[in-house]
Amino acid sequence: MQVFVSAVGFGLVTAALLAICAVGFTLQFSVTNVLNLAFGSVMTGSGFIAYGLNIGGMNIWLAMVIAALCGGVISVLMNSLLYGPFIRHGTNLFGMVIVTISTAVISDHVIEAAVGPSFFSYNAPSGRALHFLDFLLTRQDLTIIGIAVAVTFATQLALQRTRVGKSMRGLSVNASLARACGIPTRRIVALAWFASGVMAGLGGVALFIETSTFSATTGSDFLIVTIAAAVVGGIGSARGAVLGALVIGIVTEVGAAYWDPQLKDVLAFAVLIVVLLVRPQGLFSQLATERAVVG
Amino acid sequence: MSAATQYYTITIVVYVCANVIAAWGLDLQFGVTGVLNFAFIIFQAVGAYTAGVLSLGPSSSSGGFQTYLFGANLPFPLPIIGATLAGGALAAVVGLITLRRLRSDYQAMVMLVVSVVATIVVTAETGLFNGAAGLSLIPNPMQGIAGLSRQTQSWIFTAFCVALMIAIGAVMYAIVYSPHGRVLRAVRENEHALEALGRSATRARIEVFVIGGALAGLSGALLVEFIGAWAPNGWLYPETFVFFTAVIVGGRGSVAGVAIGAALIGVGIQQAVQYMPIGSDPTVLAAVEWIITGALTLVFLWARPQGLLPERRRRFARSVDVAPR
Repeated sequence: MQVFVSAVGFGLVTAALLAICAVGFTLQFSVTNVLNLAFGSVMTGSGFIAYGLNIGGMNIWLAMVIAALCGGVISVLMNSLLYGPFIRHGTNLFGMVIVTISTAVISDHVIEAAVGPSFFSYNAPSGRALHFLDFLLTRQDLTIIGIAVAVTFATQLALQRTRVGKSMRGLSVNASLARACGIPTRRIVALAWFASGVMAGLGGVALFIETSTFSATTGSDFLIVTIAAAVVGGIGSARGAVLGALVIGIVTEVGAAYWDPQLKDVLAFAVLIVVLLVRPQGLFSQLATERAVVG
Repeated sequence: MSAATQYYTITIVVYVCANVIAAWGLDLQFGVTGVLNFAFIIFQAVGAYTAGVLSLGPSSSSGGFQTYLFGANLPFPLPIIGATLAGGALAAVVGLITLRRLRSDYQAMVMLVVSVVATIVVTAETGLFNGAAGLSLIPNPMQGIAGLSRQTQSWIFTAFCVALMIAIGAVMYAIVYSPHGRVLRAVRENEHALEALGRSATRARIEVFVIGGALAGLSGALLVEFIGAWAPNGWLYPETFVFFTAVIVGGRGSVAGVAIGAALIGVGIQQAVQYMPIGSDPTVLAAVEWIITGALTLVFLWARPQGLLPERRRRFARSVDVAPR
């Protein structure tokens, strides 16, 4: 029992990391329908910005906030300088997947050429370990879980209650109708990219804090598990992303405790396959067909 | 030719042949039919591993040096045939799970996950193919020919690769430009119209998935028989991207174009990087290789999405004459 409970505790931390990333990934995807495989590169980029600040003596949490804002800016620039022009040039849904994967390959290797093949770690004490029932979590873990809860609630509230959020939902259902109704499409799309980039930044730094060592490909490697979580939940749904993150996070960590820890990501994949066999559109998604890209 | 030049030539030719064969496999899937197989590299890997264990002999004979499944000592063409079948069989399994009910953007994402999981499993389960260290000391397939130097044996293997590539090229032409090839292109262009005509797009997708997987397996076998080793580091998921670039640069759906693309991207860039004034740090060299590959993809998608040698568009004469008024 104790093993199980502490594994669930680790699962919550993994789920928190996954939730931050999956909500950001899926929010942008639902608005623009661009499958942004360079999301992981934004995570890594932000993670290294935070590393630079942290090495310079800044507190890691402050560095995280600044890096997240940088992530947002990078993400907006990526859309306005690269993806947007490609979409207006006539590149379709699948062409855009190739565009984003090319972007990921280029950015990851630019980072790698800059920092080298070695592993890095932040200068951040993980804090006193706190016992709660059989959970064993550090202050860092709890902060990251708190960030994840805040990010997902804020996103959900914004989507439900604010004008911008409603515009985003409108865009994700029918882009041309939204445009015809006077929704400033370009601005809303840019905002979606910014929000997604901020979450990539937060998720990237949080991931790097938790993994304690990181390299130029850590972000993109984590993106694969993030995608699994987002797809399980039903891509495009923020609620689904959180649920997917919880399922994947807890299943993988509990599996790691009882089975081979090296194989924990295989469990994520098993969950993905089972869910997709039963419900091909994911748990929460309504759409069973793909739509056109929005730039 | 000096021995070194000969070795260099042989290496380049074998790599080009293997890359071209694999790129044709992906071209059938992505170029002609429009299936985004981001797990393509695992089918090359399964081919390489199969050919490896079928030539190495039983695992116990290595004296605990490496462990792997099965293990047989089959004569020359059999490991390569086995590898081709293994590539096709794995593709059938993966294809039947992923290609039937999923939205095509989900298919692409699931393939990425499949590719990563395959790497994790092969690395962690050392009993499969010797884990992260991989298989090594796979014997030269032509060593059975007595009385010939190693060099001559390599030349014979090279000739075999070239002949195989030409034969497969002929088959590719036969598939792509046949009536069935039109069905495949219709899946890419307008799946709903095709289904309205009573053809199954899913069936066509699974078909090219299996053929492409078999070609990937074959290419892996050629590589492993030549290199003599194969490990998970050589088939990480980004490697698939190189083949996508080859297809895009060469020309989606164009058999000759993709062959040129595969030679340029798979082998050309690597050779070109060696002569660039960027030092000799292996990390930087590899990174520059990847950056060039990614940038070329973007440049081609923007400026010449049809590729270097575009797919031939068949035009039909108007079959119905407009009645004179």
